[in-house]
Amino acid sequence: MTTATVTPPAPTTRAAPPRRSSRAVPTPSTVARTAFLVVAAALTLGPVIWTVSTSLRSPAESFTLPPQLIPTDPDLTPYIQVFAQINMGLLTLNSALVTGFIAVGQMLTAALAGYAFARLEFRGRSLWFSLVLATMMVPVQVTIVPVFMIIRGMGLSDTLLALILPAIPTAFGTFLMRQYFLGLPVELGEAASIDGAGPWRTFASIYAPLALPGLAIIGILAFNFHWNEFFRPLILTISEQNFTLPLGLVSLQGNMGTGSISVVLAGVVLSMIPALVVFLFGQRPLREGLTAGVSK
Amino acid sequence: MTAAALPTARAAVDRGSGPRSQGPAWRRRVVVLTFLAPTIIGIGIFTLGPIVASILLAFFRWDIITDPEFVGLTNFVDVVADPTVRVSFINTLVFVVVAVTLQIAVSLALAVLISQRMPTWARTFFRSVFFFPLILSAASVSIIMRYLFNEEFGVVNWLLSLVGIGGVPWLTSPTASAVVIVLVYVWQQFGFTFLLFVGGLASIPTEVYEASSIDGATGWRQLRSITLPLLSPTMLVACVMAVISALQIFDQPYVLTRGGPGDATRTAVMVIYESAFRQLEFGRASAIGVVLMLLIMGVTALQFRLSRRFVFYQ
Amino acid sequence: MHRQPEITRRVALGALGVAGAATVGLSWPRLTASDIPGRGEDVLTVAILGTSQDAAARQSLVDAFTEAHPDIRVRIQAIQGNDWGDFFSKILTMIAAGTPPDVVNVATEGTQLFASRMAEPLDSYVLRDAADLQEYFDDVHPTLLEAFMYEGSLFQLPTDFNAANMYLNTDALNSAGLERPPDDWTKDDFTDLLRAMRTTNADDFVPYFWTNRLFGGLVPWLYVNDTSFLTETKAPGGNWFWDRFYPGEQRSGGYRWLESNAEDPLVAESVEYLRELVAEGLGTRPEEGGGGALVGLFASGRIGTTPAGGYWAQGLHEAGMDADGFDVQFFPRWRTQRHQFGAAGYAIMATSERKDAAWEWVKFSATKPAMELAYPRPTTTPTRRSMVNEAFYADTGPRSWQVFYDTLDTFPTTGPIPAPPQQAAVETALIKNVSAAVSGSAAGVPGALAALDRDLTQALRRVS
Repeated sequence: MTTATVTPPAPTTRAAPPRRSSRAVPTPSTVARTAFLVVAAALTLGPVIWTVSTSLRSPAESFTLPPQLIPTDPDLTPYIQVFAQINMGLLTLNSALVTGFIAVGQMLTAALAGYAFARLEFRGRSLWFSLVLATMMVPVQVTIVPVFMIIRGMGLSDTLLALILPAIPTAFGTFLMRQYFLGLPVELGEAASIDGAGPWRTFASIYAPLALPGLAIIGILAFNFHWNEFFRPLILTISEQNFTLPLGLVSLQGNMGTGSISVVLAGVVLSMIPALVVFLFGQRPLREGLTAGVSK
Repeated sequence: MTAAALPTARAAVDRGSGPRSQGPAWRRRVVVLTFLAPTIIGIGIFTLGPIVASILLAFFRWDIITDPEFVGLTNFVDVVADPTVRVSFINTLVFVVVAVTLQIAVSLALAVLISQRMPTWARTFFRSVFFFPLILSAASVSIIMRYLFNEEFGVVNWLLSLVGIGGVPWLTSPTASAVVIVLVYVWQQFGFTFLLFVGGLASIPTEVYEASSIDGATGWRQLRSITLPLLSPTMLVACVMAVISALQIFDQPYVLTRGGPGDATRTAVMVIYESAFRQLEFGRASAIGVVLMLLIMGVTALQFRLSRRFVFYQ
Repeated sequence: MHRQPEITRRVALGALGVAGAATVGLSWPRLTASDIPGRGEDVLTVAILGTSQDAAARQSLVDAFTEAHPDIRVRIQAIQGNDWGDFFSKILTMIAAGTPPDVVNVATEGTQLFASRMAEPLDSYVLRDAADLQEYFDDVHPTLLEAFMYEGSLFQLPTDFNAANMYLNTDALNSAGLERPPDDWTKDDFTDLLRAMRTTNADDFVPYFWTNRLFGGLVPWLYVNDTSFLTETKAPGGNWFWDRFYPGEQRSGGYRWLESNAEDPLVAESVEYLRELVAEGLGTRPEEGGGGALVGLFASGRIGTTPAGGYWAQGLHEAGMDADGFDVQFFPRWRTQRHQFGAAGYAIMATSERKDAAWEWVKFSATKPAMELAYPRPTTTPTRRSMVNEAFYADTGPRSWQVFYDTLDTFPTTGPIPAPPQQAAVETALIKNVSAAVSGSAAGVPGALAALDRDLTQALRRVS
């Protein structure tokens, strides 16, 4: 929703030190804690499971109560309908291009700026850094109209670049990479300097490779955020050929409530698959990246 | 993460972290510029510039199609006098307090619980589950929740009816709809602070706990006297992030209730959106935006002030 | 991290760079949208509310037009939105982006907004081509034309409309031991019908489902109670049109909604009626921006009655309801039986550089062959009386399809959605205060209506 939601998750590998190695009889308090976790997990997953199962039912049956968590007689019509009603291929391509370029662009610019704020000395460093950070506090709804006008001035109205370019400079990513570089031992750079390496060499061959896990975090979070982004595409794109997935999903709802709930939910399920894949593959880098940032 | 990195960071800064003896000053300046340029120029064009522009725009009346007309402070006077705007700001502040408190409490509790002894697969499972809602878009979540919380046909009321609670008008009564907005928001967002806390807990050295166990400290006392103080830097980051995010809430009320019933769930950003893109009053929308920006900065500054008293650095 | 030889890293980085450049190069046409056919070329752009599916559905219409006018190239631009308000703000963004459409399909909700700021009057064109158009006007009810007059000028030729009639679920009626009510049924008959449905159906059944918006929300209940939330007056002028095409009709130069009428006791009476329906469990509390699930709910038999127009026939059919599963009747009578309707038609943008070509499109879209191509199925009600017939509804129902057009003949005072140029602010004010009024107790109604009065007065004062 906002830039602030793009924030690094954290490592857990060291979360549970084996305090006692023997297998103890579960105490009432352990049972209570486990029950709490299970209930929380059920509340978290429940709506998702309902979404998947309802998306597999025909429109006429979609409101039947009690809800069926496991569809006994799955109906794929809603999914066929999704493909019939919106151009999934083009929407996915657009989303992939937009999120891909934003993610890569953010990784590059944030690595450079984060490194400068962490390791280079210059006048007004903390002032510039605070200025960058302060931009995180401004809701996108406030700046969207001027951004729109700037985009128009660049001749990029109603293009994917209109979505990509403004999203590449990242205050949050810069902040994250700064923290990350600060966490890396300063001695490495000093040693390189003594060996005669310039700032670029030091950055490119010493720090940047060590910071790859941190960059992965930025890439994954940028992907997650922009894959789901709704407001900017809504305002900045006009032609349907330039829509991203979330906008396409809205058109499944139809005008004046003539859409079908199963079809809408089928669209939701389809659109979350890529994010899910990135999340599954990204979980490890996320965790390792953060651990590395702390321990190295 | 960041919290854990902070102490090291301080040490590094104190020692003077910059690479020294890198040739003449102008060359160093060029190096710094090349590193910073993409971000600074980008933020300048696409964020700072628009911020300045919208501050200026707040002094104009403008509907996009005709030329802007200078109206001085009229927009600000109107905005301050408008009961809808006032209510939306109060709603936003109440929302921030309730939602952030709940989010922090839930995610902290779960992070502490998940760090107890359990099989690795179980920990991986819970961690993934609690993070999962974060990968969904707020718009999708709101669409889903709209069906679940429907008064007559929703699953939530059906479940409640099993325990004898009759049809709650979740989306159509002022109190209940505000509760739904908080629940839906926290449901989607808690995974983020949860992972922050999990990371923060992981950075607390095991020895500290072992030492305290020897001293006989257990359970609650350990939590209060060790975990929370050592977690306070993470807590600060989590709170600041959560508050900034909550102050900008838009998607959930926009899709779930459109701000209603009445103004019960209308938030500051919703009013900005409506003024600009429904009523075509871009100057007025900017004026509300300026007020909101000031509020966000004020609250953030306040948090950092308070943090000096409560945050404990190792 | 393993230490790798420097050279390998360089090669890898180089390969990455090349791959990146190749990706940018390959996707450049997509990134800059230069691959969209017709973009930036000299074509007549027609903006409609809908999806690319809706645009594709009009391809046969475009083809027919191109055949008739080989010199004019047309591009349909589908613009999606939850409602007309979304659509209008998107058109505005297109103007701001420097790429305004030439023709826009505008509904009653936006007629005055466009007429007052963005649209070109059709008067001179209509008079010029009067001979061609007479056949169209002979087939279309004057009430629909009057809704598209603004301050004496005509801005659109209506091609489709929908009046707020009452849809009835046949099974729910039968299980309550009832039949389709007569044409002149009253508000009290309606209440009795809802009560009968309530007692004979399950708990998760709602006798009356309504959506809180300008069309089909509170307004039909205001119209049948001989009032409205805005003071309705008529503009002078328009004789040039009525005398020429509808001789003998006493019509005006268009509607004017200049002041709030929210403090009218009759408004309070209508609101109180809806509030009681909700409080008694006969009607839903209206969700704001709701209606997304309406078709599914109605089709699955969870709803007894709901106000809707002819646009629903196809939707219910697609949701699996057969032609006998539902029927339609006039809105019940209270002090009057005046209905509310919404209509749509093409308007020419004042900024267009292709106004003559645009007019050809407007004129073409109003011909019968064009309307038959545009509305092959009952997804809306065509404005041509001759098209609303047995064959049109044969597959979908309802059996009483005559209701749709008869509404205009039987109740000559039937009026459009009240939508002054400040429609967005007016709608917001109405929706939020109505939802506050019907969600609370009777004691809260006067306060909510006072707030409505204040909000409307403020909205209407704004220079449009």
